[in-house]
Amino acid sequence: MNLESYRQIAQRAIQSLPSEHGDWLIEKRLAAIRQMSDLGIPDARQEAWRYTSVEGLTAKTFQFDNLVLDATFDSPELSPLNEPVAARLVFIDGIYNPALSVGDGQHGCKITSLRSAMAEGDQSVLLSVAKLSGVGDHLFTALNMATVQDGAVIKLSPGVIIEHPVELLHITTNRSDSHGRQLRHLVELDKGASVSLIERYLSISDDTDYFNNVVCEISLAEGAELRHQRLQQEGELAYHLSNVHVELGQGARYQAVNAALGGAWSRTELHNGFSGKDAELDVAGLYAAGDGQLTDFHLDVDHAVPHCTSRENFKGILYGAGRAVFDGLIQVQVDAQQSEAHLHNANLMLSTQAEVDTKPQLVILADDVKCSHGTSVGQLDQEALFYLRSRGIDAAQARRILCLGFVGEIIDKFETPSLREQINSDLLQRMRF
Amino acid sequence: MLTIENLHAGIEEKAILKGIDLRINAGEVHAIMGPNGSGKSTLAHILAGRDGYQVSDGAVNYLGDNLLELEVEQRAQRGLFLAMQYPVELPGVNNMSFLRESLNAIRKARGDEEIDAVSFMKLVRAKAKQVKLDDKLLKRPVNVGFSGGEKKRNEILQMAVLEPRLAILDETDSGLDIDALRTVADGVNMLRSEERALLVVTHYQRLLEYIQPDFVHVLAAGRIIRSGGKELALELEEKGYGWLLNEAAA
Repeated sequence: MNLESYRQIAQRAIQSLPSEHGDWLIEKRLAAIRQMSDLGIPDARQEAWRYTSVEGLTAKTFQFDNLVLDATFDSPELSPLNEPVAARLVFIDGIYNPALSVGDGQHGCKITSLRSAMAEGDQSVLLSVAKLSGVGDHLFTALNMATVQDGAVIKLSPGVIIEHPVELLHITTNRSDSHGRQLRHLVELDKGASVSLIERYLSISDDTDYFNNVVCEISLAEGAELRHQRLQQEGELAYHLSNVHVELGQGARYQAVNAALGGAWSRTELHNGFSGKDAELDVAGLYAAGDGQLTDFHLDVDHAVPHCTSRENFKGILYGAGRAVFDGLIQVQVDAQQSEAHLHNANLMLSTQAEVDTKPQLVILADDVKCSHGTSVGQLDQEALFYLRSRGIDAAQARRILCLGFVGEIIDKFETPSLREQINSDLLQRMRF
Repeated sequence: MLTIENLHAGIEEKAILKGIDLRINAGEVHAIMGPNGSGKSTLAHILAGRDGYQVSDGAVNYLGDNLLELEVEQRAQRGLFLAMQYPVELPGVNNMSFLRESLNAIRKARGDEEIDAVSFMKLVRAKAKQVKLDDKLLKRPVNVGFSGGEKKRNEILQMAVLEPRLAILDETDSGLDIDALRTVADGVNMLRSEERALLVVTHYQRLLEYIQPDFVHVLAAGRIIRSGGKELALELEEKGYGWLLNEAAA
C-alpha cells in the first residue's frame, strides 16, 4: 500500500466510528492524518528504519475496518496465568471483551476500556490520549492515532497500591486474517500509586496474517511505581509494532521487562523520559528470532533532569536465518548532572545465516555522570557444550539449555512465575535445532 | 570394561599419545601418573570424547562398544563420567536443573523412567551432604562463583548422583587444600564397588593416599613406561619421575 491508501483507510475508519456521544479524539485523529502525509512511509534512509524494512508490511493490503465484538469467542484460557490478578482486560482481535475480562478495579482506581471511555465521552481520559506520544512520529503511530478504536485505561489515584497485577491479554483469532488492529493503552499513576502490569500478545494459530499496532502511554507521577511485564508470542505470520512511552516524575520508578519471541516482523519502540529528579528506570528485554523472523527493539532514554538512574539490558538469540535489530540511545542533557545510565546489549548467534545489527549509543552533555554502554555478539561456548554433553545431555538439548542460560537473567526479571515458565517452554519449542 | 590398545593420538600434527595399552576391569581402581605434558589429560579427554584430537591408530573398547565411535553424550549415557580438571561455569543454568536434566537423559537412554522432582531433590540433598557441598550452591548457576574446592565437590556430587560405570578423575586434586582433598576422596571412595571402575589421573601421589589404587601406571611422553601396584606411587613420591624417565630412555 502507498501513502495515499493508508490515508484513505484512516479517513474511512474515522467516518465509520460511532459518534453518538461526539468524538473527543477527532482533532487528534485529523492531526494524525495530516501528519501521515508529512511523515511518509518509513524507509532505509531514515536512521530509525535503516535495518528494519517495512516492505513486507506495506506489501500487505490489510483491512482496517470497524471493530465488532465477537461474542462467540470463549476460549481465552490460552496459556493462563496461575497467579491471581487484580484485573484482566481481554482484547480479542483488538477489541475489549467484557465477558472474558475480570475485575473492575477497586476504590481509587479506574480500569476500563478506551472504547467505553470514548462512548461515555470521558474527558479525563480522552484529554490524556497522545499527551506523551504525540499524534504520531512515523506513519504507523499516526495511523494508530487516526484510527484507534480500543485499548485499556488504567488510572490510579494518589497512594493507591494494587497488590496483584493487572493483565492486558491480547488474543488474535483467525477472524483477524488480513487485518490491521490498532490499540492504545493509557496508564496513569498518580502520586505514590503502585501497580504491576502484564501485557501479553498471543495468536490462536500460526497461519493468521495480521498486523497488531499498539501504542502505550505511561505516566508516573511523583513517587509512583510501575512494574511492567511485556510478552509478545504472536504467530509466525504476524506483524507486531509496539510503541511504549514512559514519563517518570520525581522519585518515580519504572521497571520493565520485555520478551519478543513470535511474529514474522516485530518491532518495539520504547521511549522513556524523566521529568523529575531521583527517578529510576530499569528496562530489560530478550528476543529470539529464527527463520523468517525479524525482531527489532528501538529504545531511547532522555535524561533531561539531574539525579536519575537508568539501566537497560537486552539479550537476543538468533538462529537459522533469524534477524535482529537493536538500537539504544541514552541522552544525558547538559543540566542532567549526577545521572547514572547503563546500556547493554548481548547477542548469541547460533548460525552463520543469522544477522544482528546492534547500535548502543550514549550522548552525554553533562560532565558529572556515571555512564556505560556495551554490546557483544558471540557464539555458544564449545567448552560449555562439551561439559553438558559429557553429562549425557544430547547436543541439541545442550544448545537449548545454554541459550536459556544466556537469557536467564532477563527471564528472571519476570516476577510472575507463570510467565517465566511460559517463556522457557516457548523458547524451547521455537528453538528446533 | 575398558580396553585401550595401541592408542596413538594428537592435536593436529602433534603426536601426544604414542601407543597406549591399558585394560581396566570392573571393580578396579587405576591411577595414571606422570609429569606435566606426558599426555595424561589428553587420554582422559579422548576417552570422554572431547573435540580437537585426532586418533591415528589403535582402538578403545568400552563395554563391548568401539568407544571412539560414540558421541560424547552416548558415552555418558553408557556410564562413562569425566570429572574435569577445570569444571566449566554455566551462567544462567541452574545447578539442580542441570543435574536433573543430566540424570534423566542418562536414565532415559537406559530405558528407565525419569525421576520425579521430589525424589530427585531428596537424592541430591543426601548426596550433597555426603560431599559436603553447601545446599545453597545447588540453587546457583553451575559452578558460577564457586571456589576451586566447591567446583571439584560439585563434580563429585554429579558423579555420586549419576553413578557411572567408569569414572575418570582428571587432576581432581589440583588446587585443593587438604580438607577438600579428603572430602573429595571420601566421595570417590563411597562409589567404589564391584561393578564400577575408576581411573584417577594425577600428577601427585597425595590423592592416592586417600583413594588407594589397585594399579598405578606411569605415563611419560605418550607411553605407559611402568605399571605396578600402589607402592609404585610411593616410590614416585620419594624419587620423583626422573629415575623412571632415565630408565625408560636407557
